[in-house]
Amino acid sequence: MKRIETEILVIGGGATGTGVAWDAALRGFKVVLIERRDLTHGTTGRYHGLLHSGGRYVVKDPQSAVECIHENRILRKTHAHCIEDTGGFFVVTPEDEGPYPDKFVEGCAATGVPCHEISIAAALRREPLLNPRISRVFEVPDGSSDSFLATHATAQAARQAGAQLLIYHELYSLIIEGAAENGTQRVLGARVHDAAKGHDVEIRAALTINATGAWAGQVTAMAGIRISVIPGKGTMVAMNHRALNTVVNRCKMPADGDIIVPVHTVAVIGTTDERVADPENLRIEPWEVNLMLEEGDKMVPGLSRARVVRAWAGVRPLYQEDYAGASRDATRKFALLDHRERHNVAGFITITGGKWTTFRLMAEKTVDMAAEHLGTRRPCTTASTSVPGTQQGAYWLGHRLHEIEENALQGELICECELVTRAMLENAARQNPTITLDDLRRDVRLGMGPCQGGFCTYRAVGIVHALGQAGVWQGDAGHQTHAAEEWDVAMMQSPAHNVAESSPQQGTADRAETCTPRLFNPNLLLRDFLQERWKGVLPILWGRQLKQERLDELIYLAVLNADHLPDAALTSPLSEFYRFDTTPNDKEVRA
Amino acid sequence: MNTNTSRGEADLLVIGAGLSGLMAAWQAARAGLRVHVIAKGAPSLHWTAGTVDVLGYMAAASATAVADPMNALSALPGYHPYSLLGAAQVRAALADFLALTEAAGLPYVQGDGNWLLPSAVGALRPTWLTPQAQAAGDARRTAPMLIVGFSGLRDFYPHLIAENLGKQGVPARAAMLPLELISTARDRNAIHLAHALDEPQRHQALGRALRQLVQPGERIGLPALLGLEDHGATWAALQSAAGAALFEIPMLPPSVPGTRLFQAIRRSLRDLGVRVDMGIEAIRSHTAAGRIEWVETATSARPMRLSAACYLLASGGVLGGGFDSDHTGRMREVVFDLPLTVPQRRSHWFRAEFMHPAGQPVFQGGVAVTAAMQPCHPDDPAQPLYANLWAAGGVLAGADPIQERSLEGIALTSGWAVAQALARR
Amino acid sequence: MSSFTTSWQSAGPSLDECIKCNICTVYCPVAAVTDKFHGPKYSGPQAQRFRENGQPQSPDHSVDYCSGCRVCNEVCPTGVRIAEINTRARAALAAQQGIPLRNRLLGRSDLLGKMGMIAPGLANFAMNNGLVRAVAEGVMGISKGAQMPRWSTQGTFAAWLKRSAARRLKSADKVVYFHGCSTMYYEPYVGQAAVAVFEHNGFEVLVPEQGCCGLPLLNNAEFAAAEGYHERNLDYLTPYAQQGYPIIGTSTSCTLTLKEEAPDMLDIHTPAAHDLALAVWDMFEWLRDLYQAGQLRTDFNALPLVLPYHPPCQYRAHHLGSPVMDILTLIPQLDVRESAARCCGGAGTYVYKKEKYQIAMDVGQELFDFVAEQGADVTVTACTSETCRWHIESATHIPCRHPIEVLAAAYGLYDLHARRLLKE
Repeated sequence: MKRIETEILVIGGGATGTGVAWDAALRGFKVVLIERRDLTHGTTGRYHGLLHSGGRYVVKDPQSAVECIHENRILRKTHAHCIEDTGGFFVVTPEDEGPYPDKFVEGCAATGVPCHEISIAAALRREPLLNPRISRVFEVPDGSSDSFLATHATAQAARQAGAQLLIYHELYSLIIEGAAENGTQRVLGARVHDAAKGHDVEIRAALTINATGAWAGQVTAMAGIRISVIPGKGTMVAMNHRALNTVVNRCKMPADGDIIVPVHTVAVIGTTDERVADPENLRIEPWEVNLMLEEGDKMVPGLSRARVVRAWAGVRPLYQEDYAGASRDATRKFALLDHRERHNVAGFITITGGKWTTFRLMAEKTVDMAAEHLGTRRPCTTASTSVPGTQQGAYWLGHRLHEIEENALQGELICECELVTRAMLENAARQNPTITLDDLRRDVRLGMGPCQGGFCTYRAVGIVHALGQAGVWQGDAGHQTHAAEEWDVAMMQSPAHNVAESSPQQGTADRAETCTPRLFNPNLLLRDFLQERWKGVLPILWGRQLKQERLDELIYLAVLNADHLPDAALTSPLSEFYRFDTTPNDKEVRA
Repeated sequence: MNTNTSRGEADLLVIGAGLSGLMAAWQAARAGLRVHVIAKGAPSLHWTAGTVDVLGYMAAASATAVADPMNALSALPGYHPYSLLGAAQVRAALADFLALTEAAGLPYVQGDGNWLLPSAVGALRPTWLTPQAQAAGDARRTAPMLIVGFSGLRDFYPHLIAENLGKQGVPARAAMLPLELISTARDRNAIHLAHALDEPQRHQALGRALRQLVQPGERIGLPALLGLEDHGATWAALQSAAGAALFEIPMLPPSVPGTRLFQAIRRSLRDLGVRVDMGIEAIRSHTAAGRIEWVETATSARPMRLSAACYLLASGGVLGGGFDSDHTGRMREVVFDLPLTVPQRRSHWFRAEFMHPAGQPVFQGGVAVTAAMQPCHPDDPAQPLYANLWAAGGVLAGADPIQERSLEGIALTSGWAVAQALARR
Repeated sequence: MSSFTTSWQSAGPSLDECIKCNICTVYCPVAAVTDKFHGPKYSGPQAQRFRENGQPQSPDHSVDYCSGCRVCNEVCPTGVRIAEINTRARAALAAQQGIPLRNRLLGRSDLLGKMGMIAPGLANFAMNNGLVRAVAEGVMGISKGAQMPRWSTQGTFAAWLKRSAARRLKSADKVVYFHGCSTMYYEPYVGQAAVAVFEHNGFEVLVPEQGCCGLPLLNNAEFAAAEGYHERNLDYLTPYAQQGYPIIGTSTSCTLTLKEEAPDMLDIHTPAAHDLALAVWDMFEWLRDLYQAGQLRTDFNALPLVLPYHPPCQYRAHHLGSPVMDILTLIPQLDVRESAARCCGGAGTYVYKKEKYQIAMDVGQELFDFVAEQGADVTVTACTSETCRWHIESATHIPCRHPIEVLAAAYGLYDLHARRLLKE
């Protein structure tokens, strides 16, 4: 078995785990991070994209509010290119009358969340589609963020500081020595399975940090520790265009469907909150979609008639020591658990709960504890360290279009909806190698627009296949073939920074030999990505998106006959995950 | 005056300019009827491969391609449009289509059974009639293939095609040529490239490049962009310059072969004096005493009324815009509000897999028709709902034409049958 | 200004209809001839998702090359109002970059008309003088090749109405005539032919005070000014609409603007705007309706002519089929041949811009070829849009007439070649 020795092993490649790896590496620790799929494949990649001002929590959870506004200010500097300064409104709709707005104002004052009441007329000038029947509007410094890009940029910063990040490495057991009875139990690392290479790896670490969010209880259970992490499933829908350019929140106690977040080209309405038994359960019920649209209508009348592009669900990790009740009421504060102190298990820390906005703070506190475990004190520097890519400046919606116009890249578009050029895709595949097109989607937003992969899936397969033939892309998650300095993900989303690369050489007429590393099969890539896109459109197929789907069928069945390609039996580690459970549920009547 | 009327002189108002509507219009006009075609926009022909798929797969055994649809028709269920039409009408309609395309200068050819033509991903498409320029790609022949692509053309990957052909036992290799042989324009739209190849002065250089690549005995597969208006001449000139058989492989929409077919039929209709008005969207109808009185279309200010003796609904299903649906799971036929045979609940419309071999249930639904292609009366399916209304093509219930690869076949034959029925009246 | 780039009510959300099929790009006449424009889908529903209110800068400049011809709208199978999305995007671009003096001038056809009428002979001389035009191109970017309209040397249409007031028909059946700037200042004979046709059919013609419809301003990104123009027309004309008079125009772009473009582009969805839109008719739309009702006089003289007729883009955008063909084909011995060309290329003020002149000529080639194919004995062509007529005339060197002039000629009221009423 392959062995790796390190000081700190981080389990989980979401925002928190990646943040921990970054922080620890900056403090000079030797760090290895494992993620069983792609970075952000879990909750980080499935949220609505809000950069909290803290306003949401000023009444219910003031400590979270204080943390949010603190981190909000930091991330705007350290991750500038991942954040759009949309600003946010808290609006009082006719259904939200009552004492809450006044409590909200008091709460903002008490927690230091900047808040200004503005006139309805001023709000409507800025957002003409807002419900004109709102009675009060408060402006707060909310923003929207690209959690894929931010995590990738953090990951690159971590690599540059010496961390090793292993994706598609799934934990299957913790290495434990000693006995629980006499208090000598200790976690010495983990055994993981490299899904891409198909072999196992043993990682020995002085300290293991469990940063697996909603899955944290499953990991601690491997050390015999029971903790209560409630998976709270949140369903979101993305509209085909932004409709708003400001985050709009309902000014009331947090509830289902109380926010619209403009992020990139879409507006996300979020969320529901359903307690689920299994964090892998991401099934979306029709009533959840309908509820989001109805609630969205209260903030932007008519929004439910606009085109929905997609629906998805994420699972919040909600930690509670002694939990009972509906999951919305569980605290959003994060939980940092020292298992040596609590459970007599040394070498093991769990960090869970919290929210994307506070990931850096959570990482800071976690690494503070880790340093103590390792017997040193080294100061945290993440709050004043910008990740790579920040030099591009703050995000603005038009940047891709503008860069394409300035560099005359119109003929290079592969994903026409989201303006992904050929070089962006090729460089993402080369410089951040992953194993499915879904991974490339997270890198460059491939297939995330209205046609949901209808045109670009075929093109991306053709391009990646050519890279494979040229020996550039191996479909092996890249952790072996790519040295840290070859990773370059900070500029992944910028057309202007991806113009120089030339296409791989594949010109010779007699070169058509089959190229088949274990996971590299173009027909499987195609099938997996179409199925992955299908999973997210199925819950919202009606009207215009149904028409689009039918065109996509025309393309892949009638024109390409892709349902009769060779290698039909091949599957990838994610093929099963991409299936959608269509079994009707009794909750459907709630629609 | 809040509405506006157009001359109601037509014997037949065709709603929709897809293959079913155009075929009906052509056949009816040939029989001496005065026909007017209206369409919301350009039809789905611009998206398809340009072939005539009659029946490629049977829902029950969709792993294997149908070898000869004419032998398979009898195995289809009784509610399938082909079963309603009968094999004799299917054959006659297809024969008339061959005559139409021959006369229009865009000849289609029939093989012995379904052709098996390489797709742009290297799968083999079973199809009944093919434009001449695709026929040499038939994978049932053993000659090796050279698939040639163009660098920078985003909708064609020859190495991928060749690799997949090889996996299916079709000897194939791939090569790339510079796109500049066709055009130096920055825009790489297939239609613009095809238009550029209409210029005879570009044929020599491309032909020479192909001749240098090809080995004796090989046939050459190229992306379907060998000319638009002068396609026949372009194809012939390139073939002669290359010194090998050339065949086109259709690409993603917008489709060059489909656009050629649309334009050829539209020219034929123009010659017959049939108006095809684009940008005219039928939005509702008025009925009285079991008849359609008029159809209203959207105009820049007030609705316009169009009336005719007979009406053909050829507006396509979900894709053509003939049906609309909302998040409550209600699906409706837009113009006549005809009853539709789709599952009641939206959650029953789909299966877990995108490419499920039996297709998605929602697309089996549509307008149920009588044997004479008239929308059925809900109380008595043998009787027409309206005396002067017919339906054809994508709106028809009883088949998922994309899943079973019968899109063009059902469209052509049902449109043709309506025209025949009207001509007999 | 930037608030016009997003609207829930009309053109804005139609971007949601796009299924990315690129049929619009197939038929776009501009993208077919130049690399500077990347097609309607690219600039329209696709780019629109990357534009926002109050954006730091307008992200795309290539949308400026959209000619606004609306062929995309006509072929779009899903109903995206692409041309309108592009018009709004051009307005946002202009708000950022400023509007050049040239475009401000070209946008004000009423002002140009009035200026030229001070001394029409001199103005015509200047506008057709190579030196003056070379200077205009160099200094202002007005293409020297484009055919400038000729100011009327017989006075304005209003002056003619005044002169002939005593001869005008009085009748219980009344229509309101919307003449537009071109009839007012450049081609009063089109209005004279229209009045003659109305009166021949027994209608008294009312010509109330009216202003420019504002289309040239909309096309040149001056939304605020266009709004003023439209509001004024609402004041002038809505009372007539509310009394039930049809308001009929011979300039097909003016009627389209009053019906649809101005309310939609400017987000003026008041009851008055609705009333006016419902009352406005394009000349041949109204004539066809009259014919349909059995009330159009068909006492036509034979007109033994081959007449190539181009249905301009603006006219097709009314979504009426082809009322001009429906009526002109009633005229004995008139062989009307309808062109299938997508656009003449002129596209209003597009052709007058130096950087777009060649594009406009290349776009129009399809139509010019069609006219040439109809034979050497063609002496006149027809088109319902004035700017198209000027462009077609300049490219084909064959006179181009409004179909109403053809109809008036068929009634024996009008000399089609000399462009004058026979009885006045």
